Amino acid sequence: MDFVPHDDKTITEMLKVIGVNKIEDLFIDIPKDLFINGLNLPEGLSEPDVLKKLKELGKKNTIYTNSFLGAGCYFHYIPSLVDFVISRSEFYTSYTPYQAEASQGYLQAIYEYQSVISRLTQMDVANASMYDGSTALAEAAIMASIITRKNQVIIIEGVHPEYIDVVKTYCWGQDIALKIVSVDKLEDKLSEEIAAVLFQSPNFFGDIEDVSALAKTIKIQAPNCLIIQSMTDPTCLGILKPPGETDVDIFVAEGQSFGINPSFGGPGLGIFAVKDKFLRKIPGRLVGKTKEINGEREGFLLTLQAREQHIRREKASSNICTNQALCSLSALIYIVSLGRTGLREIATQNFQKAQYVKNKLREIPGYEILNTKPTYNEFIVKCPDIDSLIQECKSLDLLPPLPLSKYYSDMRDIALVCVTESNSRDSIEKFIKASELASNKQKEGRA
Amino acid sequence: MDAKDTLIFEKGNKNAQTNFIPKLDIDCEKLEDFIPKNLIRDEIRIPDIPEVEIVRHYVKLSKINYGVDSGLYPLGSCTMKYNPKINEFIARLAEFSQIHPLQEENEGALQLIHNISDMLGEITGMDGFTLQPAAGAHGELVGLLIMKKYFETKGVIKTKILVPDSAHGTNPASAKMAGFSIIELQSNKSGEVPLDHLEFAMKQGDVAGIMLTNPNTLGVFDRQIKEITKIVHKYGGLCYYDGANLNPMLGTCRPKDMGFDIVHLNLHKTFSTPHGGGGPGSGPVGVINELIQFLPIPCISSTDKGVICNYDNIQSIGRIKAFWGNFGVILRAYIYILSIGAEGLRRVGQIAVLNANYLRTKLQKKYNLPYNRICQHEFVLSDKDMPNEINTEDIAKRILDYGYYAPTIYFPLIVNGALMIEPTETESKNSLDNFIEIMDKIYYEALNKPEKLKKAPLNTPIGRLDAVNAARNPILHD
Repeated sequence: MDFVPHDDKTITEMLKVIGVNKIEDLFIDIPKDLFINGLNLPEGLSEPDVLKKLKELGKKNTIYTNSFLGAGCYFHYIPSLVDFVISRSEFYTSYTPYQAEASQGYLQAIYEYQSVISRLTQMDVANASMYDGSTALAEAAIMASIITRKNQVIIIEGVHPEYIDVVKTYCWGQDIALKIVSVDKLEDKLSEEIAAVLFQSPNFFGDIEDVSALAKTIKIQAPNCLIIQSMTDPTCLGILKPPGETDVDIFVAEGQSFGINPSFGGPGLGIFAVKDKFLRKIPGRLVGKTKEINGEREGFLLTLQAREQHIRREKASSNICTNQALCSLSALIYIVSLGRTGLREIATQNFQKAQYVKNKLREIPGYEILNTKPTYNEFIVKCPDIDSLIQECKSLDLLPPLPLSKYYSDMRDIALVCVTESNSRDSIEKFIKASELASNKQKEGRA
Repeated sequence: MDAKDTLIFEKGNKNAQTNFIPKLDIDCEKLEDFIPKNLIRDEIRIPDIPEVEIVRHYVKLSKINYGVDSGLYPLGSCTMKYNPKINEFIARLAEFSQIHPLQEENEGALQLIHNISDMLGEITGMDGFTLQPAAGAHGELVGLLIMKKYFETKGVIKTKILVPDSAHGTNPASAKMAGFSIIELQSNKSGEVPLDHLEFAMKQGDVAGIMLTNPNTLGVFDRQIKEITKIVHKYGGLCYYDGANLNPMLGTCRPKDMGFDIVHLNLHKTFSTPHGGGGPGSGPVGVINELIQFLPIPCISSTDKGVICNYDNIQSIGRIKAFWGNFGVILRAYIYILSIGAEGLRRVGQIAVLNANYLRTKLQKKYNLPYNRICQHEFVLSDKDMPNEINTEDIAKRILDYGYYAPTIYFPLIVNGALMIEPTETESKNSLDNFIEIMDKIYYEALNKPEKLKKAPLNTPIGRLDAVNAARNPILHD
């Protein structure tokens, strides 16, 4: 099936109009020896055969009824209307709305997305989105380096390890030096030469930082350096103080939690918001509201394009071209579906349920909660036997928490547990049971 | 339509109930006992809105938006082909949409990424692929970082990249992000790279390589492509293929055979995944054997024990995105390649070229065609000979009035008043004929009723917007 609507007769007619005899004549510019003799790929498949093949492949991915795994990708309930709206093919089969008059629908939706992000974060301006949280953080570091004309960046430990890796790669590309420091050593490292300090809150281990206090400390020692906050599950903004009410200059987050399926980690949504004074250095698309040239009606259009690569080429603030428009549409629908009441409620439930699991784990011998700061929906726990915990979870049809040894070889027997509103009491009890069984097993092993 | 009273925020209702959160079924703690008060937020300025209002609001917005399913979308260099519905259906199945990137039982997903890597290898001739990049521009950055690493490893200092003036804007911007400076190569009269200029630039010794789109943004296949890549290689440079325009080449010829060392593809262009209004896309990067060691981590490869991934490649440029790339997009492209098959892919390329040339032949009767020759997937008209000073923007806006989307305008920069047209293979002759009829009508209007074009669009939900004022006094949210 090639989705080509022509029959042979039509093709002949068209060739005649063009003035050639056969399709091959249209490839006259290609040197003869470049032609290949067919591709070594299978013949095309019918729809039912493709479906069958993919279902077989899909069987090799295990689907769990409930998850205690987060670490940058989260299972939250997605309201049905999210998929309904993004399935409108006027939206998903369109492209970047260059022609504003034929794209008012999407432009308005992006404008509304920018508005809800700015309302939720209390930051002055949000762009139309970036690829994901990790690349948004990397672009923020580069943006800070451009603004401050400095080429040193500090990351405070506790940023998602994969995000740190991405920032490293981007910074290497532009010869920006990167230091990773713990929060208590931060003051020694701060100086006038620093372009930006990057941190995550709630951090990778679940800790909620006192962002205002942290930002103040940084500003005292390095007043010109930009403060960049990253976040992997922004549903917490339903209860936590928004970055816009602190000295944070650039706020980035992974927006997957806002109505986007996990889909093996992509596509996600890079949320990117800044204080007003950095507006003209922001990477990515921006949608603005304006009036007609010859009228009084208001409408929406892509604006401040002079920052962008298609106009500025190598002088652009970033090479980013498309954003993650359809994912930002999901986020918009998700956020307005929940509304202020729902956003508060979902954040509360995430907090409450994680707190509940924390308390229950404390009662089981051998488990120790390692966080010393308040947490949201993730926390780290030292386990008596992490391998058995993982096995017990799987046998109870639970996606197990993340063993931190995946990223930190010295953190053995520590699990990063995630509990969201989608974990029912029943699944939580199962997880507690799995944890008890793992504890008992460890005791038996010792005996 | 008027934005003032139609924003979603106006639909709030104090009694609206949220229906999307389960009932809390555990004992509760007091929030303030655990989180200090100064870390807790006050109000959220997002209203509660009844579900029916939300649905109606966005259905209404969808009706004033144009997609490929609405009709011909002739946006040049964007390859706006039909997006098969089976792709959407499968992407939503739980076994693909509900898997976590860090879960252990992921063999199906890794296998899929591995399979499509092999297929893209066959289609382009390249020896190894990464599916990590999230978009074409992201792929370009990866490709250029690979170049950077290659020269770093060799201990050779190369700081410049050659980019023809016909290139996509992302090319120079990506090269800069990888730390290179740019030398622009002027195209010759037939829209191709002049060999003498190329050789002169390469001789300077500090050029890392060239970024090329072939066929280029004029829709022209560079006849001397092999000589070009040979010259770059002669001076130790690498050749980068911008795959934005791969569609016409499918099954006919391959970037590696042209002499390219690195390619990026746009799965959302060539391989039918929806453009989504500007993302999410996917920009896989393929390289020759010698460069595989530099691909980003994690690298997926196949062994006797099945598919594995490698995180410890010390030569790698590093990680360029969290997790595995835009899997949901990769999956759709995989389904497309399986559906189309070997022979189908070749036909896709051929019909894309047939459609473009049919349109070109018909439209050049009235419109100026600066590069008058057989084209590949697209061609570029200019407003040069338009009567009554009608310009490209006027034409584009009038096309909207007739219910079609406009071509890419004012790009490539080497054509004044460019209208860049790419119909793709999924448009029927009937659809092309309708477009030709409209373009003819517009030409006669330019001749006889130019004021109509100057005022266009007249039939859209809103008239031409004041872009100057929008940039001067930006209003970016409510």
